Amino acid sequence: MRDGSTRARLDGATVAGTAAAVLMATALWMIFFYVPSDASEGFSQRIFYFHVPIALTTYALFCWGAVNAARYLWKRDMSLDLKSYVPMHLGVIFGTLVLITGSLWAKVSWGIWWDWSSTELNTFLIIFLFYCAYFMLRFSVPAGERRATYSAVYALLGVGLIPVSVAAVHLGQDIIHPITFTRHGANMDNSMLATFLVSLAAMLMLAVTMYLVELRGKRLDERVAHIRRLAQGRA
Amino acid sequence: MRAFRALVRKDLVLELRTAEVVPAMLVFLLAVFTLVRFALGSSRLAGGSRAATGMLWAVVVLTALLALTRAFAQEREHGIWDGLLGAPVERWIMWAAKACSLWVFLAVSQVVAVPLFWLFFLQQGPSPSIPVLIAALLLADAGIAVLGALLAGLASAGRAREVLLPVLFLPFAVPLVLVASDLSVATISQQPSGFETLKRLGFLAAYDTIFALLGWALFEYVVEE
Amino acid sequence: MSSCEAAVACSGLVRRFGDRDALSGLDLEVARGEIVLLVGPNGAGKTTLLRVLATVLRPTEGEAVVEGCSLPGQARKVRGRIGFLAHEPLVYPELTVTENLELYAALHGVAGERVATLRERVGLARRGNERAAELSRGLRQRLAIGRALLHDPSVLLLDEPTAALDEDGRSLLRQVLAEEGRTVLVATHEPEWFSGVATRQVPVRAGRVAA
Repeated sequence: MRDGSTRARLDGATVAGTAAAVLMATALWMIFFYVPSDASEGFSQRIFYFHVPIALTTYALFCWGAVNAARYLWKRDMSLDLKSYVPMHLGVIFGTLVLITGSLWAKVSWGIWWDWSSTELNTFLIIFLFYCAYFMLRFSVPAGERRATYSAVYALLGVGLIPVSVAAVHLGQDIIHPITFTRHGANMDNSMLATFLVSLAAMLMLAVTMYLVELRGKRLDERVAHIRRLAQGRA
Repeated sequence: MRAFRALVRKDLVLELRTAEVVPAMLVFLLAVFTLVRFALGSSRLAGGSRAATGMLWAVVVLTALLALTRAFAQEREHGIWDGLLGAPVERWIMWAAKACSLWVFLAVSQVVAVPLFWLFFLQQGPSPSIPVLIAALLLADAGIAVLGALLAGLASAGRAREVLLPVLFLPFAVPLVLVASDLSVATISQQPSGFETLKRLGFLAAYDTIFALLGWALFEYVVEE
Repeated sequence: MSSCEAAVACSGLVRRFGDRDALSGLDLEVARGEIVLLVGPNGAGKTTLLRVLATVLRPTEGEAVVEGCSLPGQARKVRGRIGFLAHEPLVYPELTVTENLELYAALHGVAGERVATLRERVGLARRGNERAAELSRGLRQRLAIGRALLHDPSVLLLDEPTAALDEDGRSLLRQVLAEEGRTVLVATHEPEWFSGVATRQVPVRAGRVAA
């Protein structure tokens, strides 16, 4: 039975990984060769097809982490703690990419390294700050039920932070000088939409793959630690 | 309700007796205002009241951290949690009582902060609407208090407690400061429509409500061992 | 001894702190009115057991039932009937004797008048306005006893009660133990002192009841 379950997990990660590779390849081809350049912004606008899907994936990871945090508080099952922590962890990685691609995009589009008038970027900055704080919390409490509980509580507080940040950044436009042109045009034509969706699917699948792989890795780590404890004669 | 009142009274009596928190906040305020005033200088305060008002909000948050770090300190240091948790009191009542006393400390510190702020930064030139500022402060205090009472419980288990609490709290303070500052600054030169002001005050109230609900729901997980 | 008569019943009780099992499968039954001594070396798990039964710690695994209420699910129902005397006196040092007792009276829903009665009882009648920090260790322990008895609990959990007590305090403790109708669990390093009143001794070692 153990064999079967390991095989099932392997399959999950492998399937996801394969799908991710295929989608990513397709997306890259579409981004660089298929979709036409944006009328106003030119070739550099293609960063949009990376930046926004990665950002959406980060939000999806965060929601998944928060859902599992709530489930952990409900069930007190340590595997749910792991399932909450891993998406948050991946969220930081993807989030860094969002900030980098966002910065690049601002640089090539408007010659500035950070666009303080962008509501999305600024909202994201707040969420990213929150992710970092989550990690500080995680690292400063020793492993165990308490760390799991505290992480879950903080993750759920973050759920409140998202709508609050979105609303705040929109309300606070006075501080950041408003810029009136829109970023990605009024409508996206079909090829742009298709490229965007494929890229989004690719990023999500990449996140799923990394999630499954990291989850498996951490579970193995825990098994090793458990065996080591047993070998030491249950201290 | 009796338990709630008793807990709030306990916090207030302890503060009156030990003077641990509020005096430190007042001294901190004075020091930071002085620092900023001299750092900006008269000529450089060309941004004037607008910059100063924005800065006030940052200082309010940083000062609040002093109170938050000491929340639940007595319970921690003397192991009194075992006594409180063994009592048949709902955990959220302990959180609510702590939030209430924190709110009082914050409001008291701002009774001094606002006149000091005026003295240091606003004597000449246009100033923000003081009633709006006070309303915003009271609402923001409530948000800081409800969130702070919860986070103070979280941070107390960690290793670097004094460093951890600011780190945990500040991401949540950003939206608060953003809107509160916008609200106050807007009242300096223009007369913003009542609707715009109300919208932002409404945001602060919504912020308070959201985190009060989360605090109410989550506090028991923070204190249960 | 069927469990519906037992005031306290533990079965396979486990409490884990990180990597360490403070309680590793403890079984215990205590009937109503018994006075049971928990004896064992430091680190055996006596304090942890008392804290779990006081509903201050959640069990990691296993069952704990106090006065018919299973923990932690029904902890709320039974808290008012448990009195816990811990290592620390659990009082605010900067509050007076009376203020501390009044706070706990409010938390336990006990009438305010009882505070004065209790101060008399534990011999602190004339020290109501002294801050807990100003009391000697023995007097602080008596305050702690007062705090534990304030709500007239039917189950008393005492962690090393004799450690800080002077002779007057010890006779107070003896009186308390002599009172009928209470179930008492005492963790102690001085079992001999309890020899008159204790029903039995339970040795605790490495997180479980030793054979």
